[in-house]
Amino acid sequence: MNIPGSGLAKGLAVTLRTMTKRSVTAQYPEVQPELPPRTRGVIALLEENCTVCMLCARECPDWCIYIDSHKETLPAAEPNARARTRNVLDRFAIDFSLCMYCGICIEVCPFDALFWSPEFEYAETDILELTHERDRLREWMWTVPPPPALDPAAEDPKEIAMARKAADKLAAAAEAAAAEAVAAGPAGGEPA
Amino acid sequence: MSLLDTLLRCVAVVVVFLTFPLIIGQTEHKVMAHMQGRLGPMYAGGFHGWAQLVADGVKFAQKEDVVPLDADRRVFQLAPAVALLPYMLVLLVIPVGPEGFVGQAVDAGLIFVLAVMGIGVLGSLMAGWASANKFSLLGGLRTAAQLMSYELPMLLAAASVAMAAGTLSLPGILGAFHWWWVPWQLIGAFVFFTAGLAELQRPPFDMPVADSEIIFGAYTEYTGLRFAFFLLSEYAGILVISALTAVLFLGGWHGPMPESLGWLWTLLKTFALAFVVIWLRVTYPRLREDQLMRFAWTCLIPLALLQLAITGVVKVAIS
Amino acid sequence: MSLLAAAGSLDPAARSFLSPTGVEIVFLLVGLAVLGSAVISVTTRQLVHAALWLVVALGGLAIEFLLLTAEFVAWVQVLIYLGSVVVLVLFGLMLTKAPIGRSPDANSGNRWVALGVALAAAGTLVTLVVDAFRTSWVDLGAGGGSTRVTGEYLFRYWVLPFEALSVLLLAALVGAIVLSRTGKGRVPKPRAGKLRAGKPVGTNGRAASATTARPTASTPPVQES
Repeated sequence: MNIPGSGLAKGLAVTLRTMTKRSVTAQYPEVQPELPPRTRGVIALLEENCTVCMLCARECPDWCIYIDSHKETLPAAEPNARARTRNVLDRFAIDFSLCMYCGICIEVCPFDALFWSPEFEYAETDILELTHERDRLREWMWTVPPPPALDPAAEDPKEIAMARKAADKLAAAAEAAAAEAVAAGPAGGEPA
Repeated sequence: MSLLDTLLRCVAVVVVFLTFPLIIGQTEHKVMAHMQGRLGPMYAGGFHGWAQLVADGVKFAQKEDVVPLDADRRVFQLAPAVALLPYMLVLLVIPVGPEGFVGQAVDAGLIFVLAVMGIGVLGSLMAGWASANKFSLLGGLRTAAQLMSYELPMLLAAASVAMAAGTLSLPGILGAFHWWWVPWQLIGAFVFFTAGLAELQRPPFDMPVADSEIIFGAYTEYTGLRFAFFLLSEYAGILVISALTAVLFLGGWHGPMPESLGWLWTLLKTFALAFVVIWLRVTYPRLREDQLMRFAWTCLIPLALLQLAITGVVKVAIS
Repeated sequence: MSLLAAAGSLDPAARSFLSPTGVEIVFLLVGLAVLGSAVISVTTRQLVHAALWLVVALGGLAIEFLLLTAEFVAWVQVLIYLGSVVVLVLFGLMLTKAPIGRSPDANSGNRWVALGVALAAAGTLVTLVVDAFRTSWVDLGAGGGSTRVTGEYLFRYWVLPFEALSVLLLAALVGAIVLSRTGKGRVPKPRAGKLRAGKPVGTNGRAASATTARPTASTPPVQES
């Protein structure tokens, strides 16, 4: 069953239907895009957490992280103790003209000092200016969204799972103790 | 008719000629965009890019007016005017409302309209030849072939309406209109509108300006204001063809409202048809040259002759 | 001319040719323009310019008809001669690649013969018209050349010439078809490449109409218009 001209009519219907739908154009500079969680826009640095362990710089596949530091000696807290040293961060820079956004530095950071931020408007007119220093990286920290909530059916994070386990154990012990107490004095006179 | 009256009508026609094609052009920008899931112009003028065509006009006016070295200078420069002016003349005689709401009522208005529109194509031919460019020449050739093929069905369809009304005057045709003319002249309307599209070289009949093969046909070498004139003539042509179809086949000012609002009906029908023109452009791919010719000679002309026969039979039956 | 003569009343009123009205002056000026453009059209060495000057001449003629209140005839003149004949001429010139600028080989050598024929034809026509009308004055009253009047005269008094003309056109049409069909019998079979191009991919039924495409089939009726 093929009515002549039905194809033509179908074509007209398609364009008309498309016209009544919302267009897919993103009006970017006027309207900011709705980015999905975990968007890899830029790498932010929470420098308070950084211990200058250099793991990120060493793991970076294209060596785009520059870290300078010096050691600082803290005076001994107690008379008998030794003076302690700690690392102080002097420079932390990421060259985003080299960075390939693999995210290994973030994965590898043991102290949660590096995060993905969805911020993406940091284009420069000179490629040299794409090396962003730590103050800029620290500012991007404010744009890092809170981690998305877990799926309803997901397993609990390790910390919470352990805490819950401990709490459960405590509750079970308390219950056992209560049961023991009931068994010891059955004539306790419980209000019904 | 006093001098002031004449002057006023002329000014009104010029104003319509300069604004309505722009409205149609802007509609085309937006409708085409939305049909393709886009937004179209959004910046110029602030609100949904309403001033896009004004900006385009300013841009065209600033551009250098280049005439190719080998071109035939005078013919090349004259061509846009020849393409543009006939449409303005046609607008003069299209009736908008009852009781003399028309630029100038012409006794043989229908013939006048078709004749003058035929002249407009001379502009494309002149442009195609004078540009000294093979793409332009090909475009000009295709324009000529297309015009000659589609003029005949258009004339026959128009003749059917003239037969039905018993007059060649456009207000006279509208005066004789009854609602059952629409189904009666349905085939004629289809033929007229389709042939009109082809005469305007609008998609899907835009072989003469097929940009993927001959750049822009006869207009390839044009820049600046002269190019803008050609574009304006295309949109003025849409206006004219839509208005003519509305007047001849859809009853112009007739509609379920008081007579004084007739002009509103004419405008409404005209713009609805202009929308259809845009809609067809978005929907259909371009016909090949041989398909174009075959469609005109083996489909439209027999249909137009059939319509003539139907009109004649019905006319004799009811008289 | 004869049409108008029949339309208006022929009163030999004592009109003076020495005090022309505005319309008469315009008529004369347009006539001179028509004559001038016609002369240029046959003398110019640039082929396409000749066709364009022909447009001016024919358009001027339409204006003359308008000034004589023969509105319908004027618009038909524009429709047929400007809209179709000149377009056809231009089409032919483009097909033969008319050069921009002068064509030195455009002179056929019949210049003087052509001039003689033109003068003889003009002489005959002028003598005929002058002799037919003499000093009679045709009143160009309103509606004298309107569509209704023209139609009535065409189909009442001049039916026979009209029909004879249509037979002539039919003969031209048949001749054009014969000319376009003399190419040794039948239309050549479309090549395989063409056949594939005309066939929609993935369908089997609809390809039949595409394979019978004959681009040349459209030319004969074109020449008729």
